[in-house]
Amino acid sequence: MDPAEAEFLAEKELVTVIPNFSLDRIYLIGGDLGPFNPGLPVEVPLWLAVNLKQRQKCRLIPPEWMDAEKLEEIRDQERKEDTFTPMPSPYYMELTKLLLNYASDSIPKADEIRTLVKDTWDTRIAKLRLSADSFVRQQEAHAKLDNLTLMEINTTGTFLTQALDHMYKLRTNLQPGESAQSQDF
Amino acid sequence: MFLSDFRKEFYEVIVTQRVLLLVASDVDALCACKILQALFQCDHVQYTLVPVSGWQELETAFLEHKDQFQYFVLINCGANVDLLEILQPEEDTFFFICDTHRPINVVNVYNETQIKLLVKQDDDLEIPAYDDIFRDEEEDEDDSGNESDGSEPSGKRKRFEEDIMERTMKRRQRREWEARRREILFDYEQYEYHGTSSAMVMFDLAWIMSKDLNDMLWWAIVGLTDQWVQDKITQMKYVTDIGTLQRHVSRHNHRNEDEENSLSIDCMRIAFEYDLRLALYQHWSLFESLCNTCYTSASLKLWSVQGQKRLQEFFADMGLPLKQVKQKFNSMDVSLKENLQEMIEESASKFGMKNLRVQTFSIHFGFKNKFLASDIVYATASLMENIEKDEPGTDNFIKALDSLSRSNLDKLHQGLELAKKQLRAIQQTVASCICTNLVISQGPFLYCYLMEGTPDVKLFSKPVSLCLLSKYLLKSFVCSTKNKRCKLLPLIVAAPMDVEQGTVIMVGIPPETESSDKKNFFGRAFEKAAESTNSRTLHNHFDMSSK
Repeated sequence: MDPAEAEFLAEKELVTVIPNFSLDRIYLIGGDLGPFNPGLPVEVPLWLAVNLKQRQKCRLIPPEWMDAEKLEEIRDQERKEDTFTPMPSPYYMELTKLLLNYASDSIPKADEIRTLVKDTWDTRIAKLRLSADSFVRQQEAHAKLDNLTLMEINTTGTFLTQALDHMYKLRTNLQPGESAQSQDF
Repeated sequence: MFLSDFRKEFYEVIVTQRVLLLVASDVDALCACKILQALFQCDHVQYTLVPVSGWQELETAFLEHKDQFQYFVLINCGANVDLLEILQPEEDTFFFICDTHRPINVVNVYNETQIKLLVKQDDDLEIPAYDDIFRDEEEDEDDSGNESDGSEPSGKRKRFEEDIMERTMKRRQRREWEARRREILFDYEQYEYHGTSSAMVMFDLAWIMSKDLNDMLWWAIVGLTDQWVQDKITQMKYVTDIGTLQRHVSRHNHRNEDEENSLSIDCMRIAFEYDLRLALYQHWSLFESLCNTCYTSASLKLWSVQGQKRLQEFFADMGLPLKQVKQKFNSMDVSLKENLQEMIEESASKFGMKNLRVQTFSIHFGFKNKFLASDIVYATASLMENIEKDEPGTDNFIKALDSLSRSNLDKLHQGLELAKKQLRAIQQTVASCICTNLVISQGPFLYCYLMEGTPDVKLFSKPVSLCLLSKYLLKSFVCSTKNKRCKLLPLIVAAPMDVEQGTVIMVGIPPETESSDKKNFFGRAFEKAAESTNSRTLHNHFDMSSK
């Protein structure tokens, strides 16, 4: 899967915005979007929130987990544990990127948040690489990883499966057997 | 007619329509266009953008598009001529004109239906009263009615005589009225000058609608600075407008003071600066910048050997080693850069340059990018008039328009390099003109013609560059000549425009005085001269003083 596709899926997540216009309830295929009244917070999917912000029609409110202290705790916990800890949102990386790109003026301490999220991501990717490395070395057939998000799976997914495929082919060709055939020119 | 409520009478009218934007080729118009485009994008208004650089292009664009559009917005063009007569539009087309050229043509002012002017009324416009210029046609009919009455049988002889007296009185009054009208119109249209920047007018519109952003404020600042760099407005007006913009800047940018809640470093900040007037000095070396800024080069007389010695004395006076000063500004020693502005100002006043610092604004985003408003003006102007590749004019316009967005830093840097080349070329041309006495005093004005073989003369085939060159030339000439009378004369500069066709572009600028009101009479003068010499001229540029 492309990272862009993962981001597309992440854009369905709901965030809170405060609009400055009024509109009645709209009924879309994916769901209803509640009535918009100026000054009253309303939950909308991320794609709509970003579009409205670009057109200066709303103010974005960061999700509750996007706070410097909470993210610091999460980062510290991630560093302590050997396995993956649960993340505040299954799409935390995409949400951070999109919100900090388009609405960094409504998010306090945006630079710190960016650094903290990147630190957490780096720790988790390092753990993933370690785990994939030991999996390959010990030639295990089965592994279980909890609490991974889609974006992280994407970084190693394709590569890991293709590499294992190649290794399997190489291994089967090592064993001399009736199934091994010599190549014809 | 003048619009009083821009929001109701302009924006809400066009927000549901398709609009054609006709934008003139100068940096102020580009900035106003950017602000308007941002507003249109917020509200999904369909528009077409056509850059025009002269009356001919305006007419062609209008003829091409007049069937598809009913609403036309003209930026920095069209206010100073009778638009309806030139374009001959249908009854139901409307023109919104946001133009800095003054005086506004009286037909445009008094037309109630088709022409709407987006102009601030507090500019001193001095428009003649309606009755002084336009007269109802009915009075003529009364006259003719009376005449037919008067040709009745001569029995009523006394009344006949009275009728004759009345008629002659009326005719005399009419002649007096017409003479007064001609005088009033002549006084009104004699001098050309500029009003408030269009970019500032557009920013005000955005502010009224509460849709103003820091980005739009920056474009308004660049538009105003363009007027100052091109010497189009008086110093007082510039300072007043800076004050207005300063209020907006503090409103948008006060969060930077607060340490707790300060914005991300990527957000754009605008700061007020009382900075040096040296062109592009933060992106160049201090030495080059001093040599190539008109103010310093003219005061120090850098075209002569004496001048070069004085420049070195200047640096010695400040205690800046020549090696440091010739380096890129960003690589200069930090200890030297710390009090640079105050040091330069002190030394400069010893050498006769009292106004080396000017009030302006700077923009700051990311860790590396800091620009002064005048830097952006020079970069955008040189991108717009780039002659390096033979592209059609619209490509250059679009590139210049793009360079105003913060995401197109590579174009901005390209513009800065081109601006450096342009400034160097201007200084070299000015130096050679003064040293070889090419500026000739021709009675009531000074005259200079750039030959075809002059290096970089191709750069000056565009109006804005040529205007800049003429202003620098006049300032330098005034500093170099000892003839008191010559110091007060206006200047005309001519340069070849198209070598194959043998055409020449001419620019006239008013004399250089401390307190000039920047009024330019060359528009009318060129027209009269063209008539009397029967030469083939094309009064193509929106600025009447360029031909």
